[in-house]
Amino acid sequence: MDVAIIDYYANHGTSFLHKAKALWKVVFTALVIASIILTNEFYMLLGIYITLVTIAVWTRLPVSRIITIAAYPAIFALIFAFAMWNGSWLKAGVIILKALTAALTMVLLIVTTPYPDVFNVLRPFLPRVIAEGLFVTYRSVFILLELTDELIKSLKVRGGLTRRKYIRNIRNFSSGIGLLLVKGFDYSEKFYGMMNVRGYSGRITTQGTKTSINRNDVLAIALGLLIFAITISTVIEKRFLEFGVYILACSAIALVISSIYQQFQN
Amino acid sequence: MSHLHIPDGVLPGWLVMAGWILTALILAFSIYRTRSTELKRKVPLIGIISALMIVCMTIPIVPIAYHINLSVIAGIILGPAVAFISIFIVNLIIAMFGHGGITVVGLNTVVVGAEAFIGFYLFQLFLTIMGRDSIMWSSGLAAVIALIISTSILVGVVYLSRIDPETVIGIEGGHPTEVATETNIPSQLTKGINIKSFAKTILILLGIGWLLEGIITAFVIKYVSRVRPDLILPQRA
Repeated sequence: MDVAIIDYYANHGTSFLHKAKALWKVVFTALVIASIILTNEFYMLLGIYITLVTIAVWTRLPVSRIITIAAYPAIFALIFAFAMWNGSWLKAGVIILKALTAALTMVLLIVTTPYPDVFNVLRPFLPRVIAEGLFVTYRSVFILLELTDELIKSLKVRGGLTRRKYIRNIRNFSSGIGLLLVKGFDYSEKFYGMMNVRGYSGRITTQGTKTSINRNDVLAIALGLLIFAITISTVIEKRFLEFGVYILACSAIALVISSIYQQFQN
Repeated sequence: MSHLHIPDGVLPGWLVMAGWILTALILAFSIYRTRSTELKRKVPLIGIISALMIVCMTIPIVPIAYHINLSVIAGIILGPAVAFISIFIVNLIIAMFGHGGITVVGLNTVVVGAEAFIGFYLFQLFLTIMGRDSIMWSSGLAAVIALIISTSILVGVVYLSRIDPETVIGIEGGHPTEVATETNIPSQLTKGINIKSFAKTILILLGIGWLLEGIITAFVIKYVSRVRPDLILPQRA
């Protein structure tokens, strides 16, 4: 997980998904996640995954990087699939695909939407302390990442992290975390002081969530609705599962065409 | 690292909902406990501790696919109520990276929150028994025991997930058609998770991790107690 890179992607993209409003992208994400929860069909999940990869191609961001970021949960899904192993590769595949597809959906949201915009959408549903904690955490992550980079560099330069000296490495690394914690605490006190000077009275004000719709929003919602409608139709009427292979083929073709088109565009 | 990295749609809906309801209740209680003018002072501290947990969670220890949580440290420094709020924030943010399903954030908060809660009280207990000079041992032991208990809760959650009421009662079209008997329950449950192999895999993978996190917690708390004792032992300072 590279928080800084994800933040860069979210703030510097120019695709339709970047231009769509956070609220409608959250709706798109909710529809896709609901589809993943509802279906247990391997081909449907594979179809959704390929469709999401196609959307990732449309974002004009490095697709392989996005897929790698979203592949992290697969390690743990493998453990779960192993525990549920009953000789069926399809069942194991369903668990792994559910992890990969859900992760890719979430990653697509955050690589195209700055975090504060996502928090703004969630804000009405969360208690004030949590909503504000989310904003402050987001800000603090970047400061700590910078401090961590400096810390690891200085530990390496001063011989604090050397090969085969595991106990010493753990001790130095732990002291480093302790240092980050103390620095972070000092920083939080300064931060609180600064916020007070700027008129903080227990509430961080934001721009609010825009609900108007433009064509980018419509496209995001339409894609979410399309995925959800196809999934729900196969859940309600099992006969539609016969078309699973065609759905898979269509999504694969869309991916190939989109990739070729993007290659020419670049 | 005892939180569930289970994808969305694998656990039964009733268990996911139970996790969210439990989390909402504990969060409401935690916010009630920390209500006062001091709460706004705690927001930056919650932010820093949550950010530190996120940063540490983004560093995987490659051979065993483990990452440290720092939840016991959060519990010791923030206290169990505020630590629970911080852990909810962390789980919500990392779920956006696809690090565990977004629907299991509730269950994850309960599991990791239990770690902070148990860690805090065990740390206080060990300090009372072994004395204040044993701060390193107290924190390390508290972390290891808290992790063992929270991982047991995790295995318990996975065990519960296979006892889907719909499967056991045999609901068809929304109406119970057959009440499960002692003889037919096991055959239905074998369709689910093999809890023994799951527990075995988890315990083998996480055993080394607990020890590692215990050592790291001990050294971190030792360091902080030397530099800023007021953060850990306010009455002493």
